[in-house]
Amino acid sequence: MEGSGKTVGGAESSAAAFQPKERFFELRHVPSGRWTVVLGIIGALTFFGLWEIGHYMTPESGRRFLPSVEQVVGKLIFLYTDKGFLYDVAISCMRIFGSFLAASLIAVPLGIAMGCFANMKALVNPTVSGWRYLPAASFIPLLLVWFGPTETAKMGLLFLGVIFFLVAMVLDNTEAVENALIEAALTMGASRSQVVLGVVVPAAAPAIIDSMRTMIAVGWTYLVIAEIVGAQDGIGAVMMRAGRFLNVDIIMAGILMIGILGVLTDILFRVLQRILFPWNVARRA
Amino acid sequence: MANQADSAVLARGIIKQYMNGTFTALDNISMELNEKQIVAFIGPSGCGKTTMLRLISGLEYPTSGHLTTFGQSIQGPGPDRGMIFQAYTSFPWLTAQGNIEYGMKIMGVSKTERRSKAMEFLKLVHLEKFKDSYPNSLSGGMKQRVAIARTLAQNPRVLLMDEPFGALDAQVRWEMQEMMIEVIERENKTVIMVTHDIQEAIYLADRIIFFTRQPGRIKADMILEFKNGRRFAHKEELISQPGYVDAERRLFSMMREEIQTAA
Repeated sequence: MEGSGKTVGGAESSAAAFQPKERFFELRHVPSGRWTVVLGIIGALTFFGLWEIGHYMTPESGRRFLPSVEQVVGKLIFLYTDKGFLYDVAISCMRIFGSFLAASLIAVPLGIAMGCFANMKALVNPTVSGWRYLPAASFIPLLLVWFGPTETAKMGLLFLGVIFFLVAMVLDNTEAVENALIEAALTMGASRSQVVLGVVVPAAAPAIIDSMRTMIAVGWTYLVIAEIVGAQDGIGAVMMRAGRFLNVDIIMAGILMIGILGVLTDILFRVLQRILFPWNVARRA
Repeated sequence: MANQADSAVLARGIIKQYMNGTFTALDNISMELNEKQIVAFIGPSGCGKTTMLRLISGLEYPTSGHLTTFGQSIQGPGPDRGMIFQAYTSFPWLTAQGNIEYGMKIMGVSKTERRSKAMEFLKLVHLEKFKDSYPNSLSGGMKQRVAIARTLAQNPRVLLMDEPFGALDAQVRWEMQEMMIEVIERENKTVIMVTHDIQEAIYLADRIIFFTRQPGRIKADMILEFKNGRRFAHKEELISQPGYVDAERRLFSMMREEIQTAA
């Protein structure tokens, strides 16, 4: 196609199509997959570069409070090779996934039921909504009194930090299922249970998995708080112990590790999404 | 009076109110629709034509009045009255074939029969090449053809259509109308359709029921006599019939009257 907005020259120049200028700040322009990766790497390198500059700008005496990237990475490797860090990581993962599984087993069916039946929503929602405004950390004293510094207390905190938001999100996902799909199934003679299990659940499932991906990230953010609760093991416990001895490099290695695990969890959910719902990819608008 | 059991739909004194009776959508509607007829409900926006269709489908209930299908009181939706919606309702998690099998599965049709029936109806709506495609990879018109095939595969006694081509662009809409004539003829169906498109109503319907706006009443009930009971495969054929222009003119002036009284 030739550019017709502005025409320059005569018949001879008509062969050359108008080429718009390439601009970085192009409105709503979707970059190619390769360019997206390049930009992502540039962004990350900038971050680590600034960190590195920060380290070398700090006076010699204070540098141990802002260790360099290679020191932190080195420490992380050291933790794995010499301090049995793998065990702590495994324990932390188990707490996150265990508590999240328990929260999901309650929140997902409850949210779906509330999204399908307005009476269920009216019954449960006012009570559940209030809980979302309570900071999970405020339950630590209570959990400690009830369960002591046990595994139950830690998992309980992670559970409480996630479940009420997850209910609200699954409710939204379920309510977002188009009425027309439900009515179509009803006019085909589907029973209520057939509509819920055969239409609402598959229709809402991709959005629900997305909500779970968002909420497990919140779970990771609670990890360190949960592992303050008299923990002997886990990434958070290692970091708290390091804090007592001002070992900033270990604290930062812990933060880096949680970040890496968070990203991996995110990728896991995205892959799961693609495997479970191959139909959820629009190939044609 | 004809035998009630012979009427595809029999309505007597249907009133439908919303908001605790402060809004009347349908006011004393009575009609008798015959088997094997294509009837179009037409009228301006908000005239209650869709409400009437939803009452027949059983998705909503009248506030008062008597409503039966083949002599049976309508007490909820059922596969005897298949419905096609304006919104795309083919299930995105099922392939075209899976969608068509879904309705039969609900009815307890065996797997082998479902499979062969699905192929038959895919062919009917010209989608056999797309049997394994998911709706997200199909165009709007194709999604709607999946929904039509799915409904027909249940072999409903009455086919209800609520502005089924309303979301499609003009060319696809025209193709779908011609395909629909072919399908209805082949399956020999009773059809009730809602539309606000006068030309679509004349092309597809044998009989047109015109609704007034707020409250919905029947303004006119006309058999399209110029068609002599014929249905035309091509739209040009219909338009060249004597009487076509007259029918179109009548409906347009009725529509104008309705719009002007409201303004």
